[in-house]
Amino acid sequence: MLLLGYFFFACLICLSGCAGSAPKTALIIAGSEPELALTVDSPDYRAEGLAVAVLPIQNLSGAPAPLKEIKQSLIYKLQKNGFRTIDDKVLERFMTFHRIRYTGGIDADVAQALRDETKADAVLITSLELYDDKYPPKIALISRLVSAGDKPAILWMGNAGLAGDDSAGILGLSLIEEAGDLQEKALNTLFRDLSERRSGKSERGYSQYKKKYLPKISYRSPVMIPDRKYTVAVLPFINESSRKNAGDIVALHFVRQLREAGNFEVIEPGIVRQELLGLRIIMEGGMSVANASLVLGILDADLVLSGRVMDYQDYQGTEGSPQVDFSVTVIERKSLETVWSSKSYNRGDDGVYFFDRGRINTAHAITSEMTRAVVELMANE
Amino acid sequence: MLMREKNIFKIILLLFIVFLMSCATAKDTSYHDPNMDFAAIKTVAVMPFENFSRDNLAADRVRDVFINMLLSTGEVYVIPTGEVSRGVVLVGITNPSAPSAEEIVKFTGIVKADAVITGAVKEYETVRSGTTSANVISMSLIMLEARTGKIVWTASSTKGGINTLDRLFGGGGEPMNDITEKAVNELINTFFK
Repeated sequence: MLLLGYFFFACLICLSGCAGSAPKTALIIAGSEPELALTVDSPDYRAEGLAVAVLPIQNLSGAPAPLKEIKQSLIYKLQKNGFRTIDDKVLERFMTFHRIRYTGGIDADVAQALRDETKADAVLITSLELYDDKYPPKIALISRLVSAGDKPAILWMGNAGLAGDDSAGILGLSLIEEAGDLQEKALNTLFRDLSERRSGKSERGYSQYKKKYLPKISYRSPVMIPDRKYTVAVLPFINESSRKNAGDIVALHFVRQLREAGNFEVIEPGIVRQELLGLRIIMEGGMSVANASLVLGILDADLVLSGRVMDYQDYQGTEGSPQVDFSVTVIERKSLETVWSSKSYNRGDDGVYFFDRGRINTAHAITSEMTRAVVELMANE
Repeated sequence: MLMREKNIFKIILLLFIVFLMSCATAKDTSYHDPNMDFAAIKTVAVMPFENFSRDNLAADRVRDVFINMLLSTGEVYVIPTGEVSRGVVLVGITNPSAPSAEEIVKFTGIVKADAVITGAVKEYETVRSGTTSANVISMSLIMLEARTGKIVWTASSTKGGINTLDRLFGGGGEPMNDITEKAVNELINTFFK
């Protein structure tokens, strides 16, 4: 009986100890200096030694690819460009502990935990869109740097889509025959852009869109005010093409181009995905007004952009032409109406008449041009 | 001399007949309900199209083009496709491409549309004749009024195919996207006529 009493007493002490620990932690957090989230304008972003966690590469190519090698190259290039990288083992432990399997984005909870537990300032998220090592090799990557913390924001986003025969040169002397060489060139393109943006050398990696990539049909509601800054949530597109993950790929291109346009603040796709999963939204047949209202409210966004991909074709070998066909719909928060709708389709050999001049060899490069034209028209029409 | 003049006259007459034939307009296959006030239609819902072609995606492709072209006229607002799907599920329409009048009335009440458009893609393929090939599209549309579910407008269009020039000089005809746009444009023109 006495033993039972002691045991009960010990349990009580233990329980009260546990209860006290939570407020203590809360007090410590409340008392500490609040850490400001990293933004493009903050001096920390441009400072040397920014700690970056490199997430495993998301493979959207639908084919096997040397993902580990690409990740190692990314880490090496980051370090070469003055970043600190979070140790792979530390990141692996973190991902295992938090059961993170999706590497194509980051939500607020994970971003905060990443900052607290690994002391990372930002996270590099890379999606491999295309990898083909047969001659001529082809590679396409989309990469973005997202701030760690309670409000993850996209700090930088770049893309590179190359084919070995993009610029063959005289007698084919400039052909790239090895996939490794092409991969190196693509990564160099990405990091050149990143370092130029960070140093402030270039504000926008933007050139005027080409007319041939303009949407073939478009509608813009007068509700949409030109030059107003909108917060946009980009949803994965419905994929009706034969290419795996084409819906996610086109959505990523839109995220990049909307960021570049300057008129739009784009919500990190990882946060959008998390909310869609949380709300159990299934977009069968497209985005309904009810779902749009729910998503816009939860994400505190002004616009929701979604669409449908009908074709997304790359080709193997030397003969062929990539082909992309998609439509876009934008719904606005206040009116809950479609404020933008467009249909775009292009081929890599559109407007090419002499000696393959102006020919595009990857669906990635065409999509980049097409999405840029759509966004420019949407922002400034 | 007289014989020669007669021959020239025959040739001129033949050319004139050919010229007149080329001016003939195609038969108008559209129908407009004379009692319907089409100007009152501000919001429409476009149902998924019926697909009678061999291409599984033809109906979705054509519907996509039609919705965008109708919106781009700026005259009519088209309800987002996701909202249409939601309405179809809520009403429990078993065949959205051919809804009954009762279903139309219930459906338009939910999605707040003034009319519903259904359609069918009859042909969406490449046709061949000898060594020549060309793309062809054939489609038809029906508009049903929201309050009664009555048909108020129908139209059909066929574009593409092999013409005499293709037969003589070869060539693969026009791209499928281009003839789809032409067919849809023709249908929209008949609606606003």
